[in-house]
Amino acid sequence: MSIETLLNEYTCPPDIWDEMCTEGKVRSHYTKMVSSFQNLNVPDLQQKDLLASELFMNQGITFTVYSDNKGIERIFPFDIIPRIITGKEWDVVEKGITQRLKALNMFLKDIYNQQQILNDKVVPVELIASCPHFLREVHGIKVPHDIYVHISGIDLIRGDDGRFYILEDNLRTPSGVSYMLENREVTKRIFPDIFAANNVRVIHNYPLILYQNLLKLAPTQVSNPTVVLLTPGIYNSAYYEHTFLAKQMGISLVEGRDLVVDDHKVYMKTTKGLEQVHVIYRRVDDEFLDPLVFNPTSVLGVPGLMGAYRKGNVAIVNAIGNGVADDKAVYAYVPAMIKYYLNEEPILENVPTYEMSEPDAREHVFKNIRKMVVKRTNQSGGYGMVMGSTVSDEEWEKAKVEIEKDPRSFIAQPIIKLSTVPCFIDGKFKPRHVDFRPYALCGPDGVTIVPGGLTRVALKEGSLVVNSSQGGGSKDTWIVDL
Amino acid sequence: MLSRIADSLFWLSRYMERADGLLRATRTHYLMSLDNVVLGDKSWRPVLEIFTTADQSTIKEIEYDSHAALRMLISDQNNHSSLKVILTRARENARGAQDHITKEVWEETNAMYHYINKSTINERFDERDVLQILQQLTQHSLLFTGIADMTMPRGLGWSFMNMGKFTERCFEILTFCDKHYEMINYDLSSDKAMIHWKELLFSLSGYELHLKTYRTHNYNRNVLHQITFNEDFPHSVIYTLTRIEKYLNDIVQENQSPANNELLRLFRKLSSRIKYMDQTSLNSSNLKSFLDEAQNEMLQFSNQLGQNFFSYQ
Repeated sequence: MSIETLLNEYTCPPDIWDEMCTEGKVRSHYTKMVSSFQNLNVPDLQQKDLLASELFMNQGITFTVYSDNKGIERIFPFDIIPRIITGKEWDVVEKGITQRLKALNMFLKDIYNQQQILNDKVVPVELIASCPHFLREVHGIKVPHDIYVHISGIDLIRGDDGRFYILEDNLRTPSGVSYMLENREVTKRIFPDIFAANNVRVIHNYPLILYQNLLKLAPTQVSNPTVVLLTPGIYNSAYYEHTFLAKQMGISLVEGRDLVVDDHKVYMKTTKGLEQVHVIYRRVDDEFLDPLVFNPTSVLGVPGLMGAYRKGNVAIVNAIGNGVADDKAVYAYVPAMIKYYLNEEPILENVPTYEMSEPDAREHVFKNIRKMVVKRTNQSGGYGMVMGSTVSDEEWEKAKVEIEKDPRSFIAQPIIKLSTVPCFIDGKFKPRHVDFRPYALCGPDGVTIVPGGLTRVALKEGSLVVNSSQGGGSKDTWIVDL
Repeated sequence: MLSRIADSLFWLSRYMERADGLLRATRTHYLMSLDNVVLGDKSWRPVLEIFTTADQSTIKEIEYDSHAALRMLISDQNNHSSLKVILTRARENARGAQDHITKEVWEETNAMYHYINKSTINERFDERDVLQILQQLTQHSLLFTGIADMTMPRGLGWSFMNMGKFTERCFEILTFCDKHYEMINYDLSSDKAMIHWKELLFSLSGYELHLKTYRTHNYNRNVLHQITFNEDFPHSVIYTLTRIEKYLNDIVQENQSPANNELLRLFRKLSSRIKYMDQTSLNSSNLKSFLDEAQNEMLQFSNQLGQNFFSYQ
């Protein structure tokens, strides 16, 4: 079968924004790719699909799934058809994320110092006080250049009106950037000509920008600072990414047991003896960082690390305590923060969010549950989510009891029909729902976002859940200048 | 270099070398045991004693059952020194040091691990596919050595990897040697038939060299000379010590510390013992103590090495 018939057969479901087609016609930014595809046939594409999975397999680009107890390593499914976003659309996204990060940084500085936003009653005190990720332990700590969110992965979705909305702020230890970079490398291998013809903006300088930013965070009197990446170890689900980033930046990949604190300074244990560490890009969660301050049973962290951090002898990236700003209930107040701190209108809008701790909202959600999705405020990776459209009555009754027990831990959002893109599945093009996670880097010189990001795909037909832990895959994402 | 990384590289190599030794010994013994008429004794006892932690009663139970012995040596998860467990540990070390080894080395370690973990491997032992499995595993092991040699950057990491490799090999030779001379009561004056030594020489890939080098029929002495004092034989004690010396010097040079004096002292003591040994003075009464002391000093040396460079826990 030729690709042309496949493309003609591609039908997108009604009332949903399809990224490639509109009313049976191919959108202009997809035309170049579509016409290049017409020179290929189905076996060609299948060949390329196979080659791509081999490339991932051989490099051991895997993540670990824990839900089946065994912690088995799997390949992150990759769809070979790239997703295309125009440079014009991207510029809006870039401005929107930059604005949002500015506000979120100011919020974090405020909340851990004067707390003016609470005094002015823009954000309710109860909301912050009840947030499990609001850490009194870091109150008043000065962080270098007042930057709290050095690396963020803000999730965007495109609604049926074709506009991008903010779905989630990930400001703690967002992962997936290695997949963004590896997806691009694989795409270059399998579609070199098509890639070159499309004028795609480059993303491969991400590790270098990150490294430069990390260097600038070291105490100023140090001329040749040591930067390390702190990983929880080989059993962590994102361990591949940790080794990837450490290799790309040329820094040491350390575990908690490699570090020791002496006289409020952090050292790593080398064969030559102790060597001082100035900047830690940590991929360990807040509560495991220092057993003396947080979880006392943690073996992933370093005893005394908080003391060194407080003294300013070591910079920790991202800052400790960021969880208060990406709590899913606090998320609803980000537009208000943007107005409060920057006196600007938000460029990218939120998805409407109902706090379940408010009785009226709760009642509304309970009545309209079939159109809603309920999420836990402090969970990520798609765990603890209830999709109202598919949940059975029995499960919903159970979930309801839990929500009423602890309403602060839940929010609800109307189910948004995520946009679809064509995916190459079983020898055919089929529409699948996607979201979009660009990675923003915030340094002393401002916010840099490499033009691209991770497009996550819900590979199951009709599914709206894109998380890798729930059977999602990913795609390369091209920002093209027409 | 991080102490943990140095430790991981050292043990990655040690485990891979151990796997290699285990495979050679197992394959040789299996082949020899087929030759019933000549050898007479098919017992797996010596191999099991060297490579497993099984107790005497278990060994007694399976020493004449090739398939049970092979399963225990190769794929038994409960035997803490089976090939499967060794390769799992090697891979864990490789994984922890992934940013310090090349992609190729990682991929080969991974491939060998996946081969031994194929669910069909136990059934294939029963189908008398044994030689093929051992052959393929040996090839993986050789590939690992070759790939590491071709791709790993020279430097501290390489030095620690080689330290691990030759430390393991030295221990292995001394243990083999001890076991085989024990069987003849450390008797150097009389002569055991070549057939007795063939297994040892094949296990260390030294049979051809032996034929080419030694003309007299004084096998008991000649074999001892080859695996202890022959500088051209890559599986001799003196060869491994020469190589250890090189990498030890490289490591010490890059990591100056007062504690290194003790390490160097221990090494030089052992090395001189072998190098300047009056070989003619070795006789049936002092051979055992010579081997014991050499093993003991090697152990002290490797403990000190760990203390100087790997103590990060």
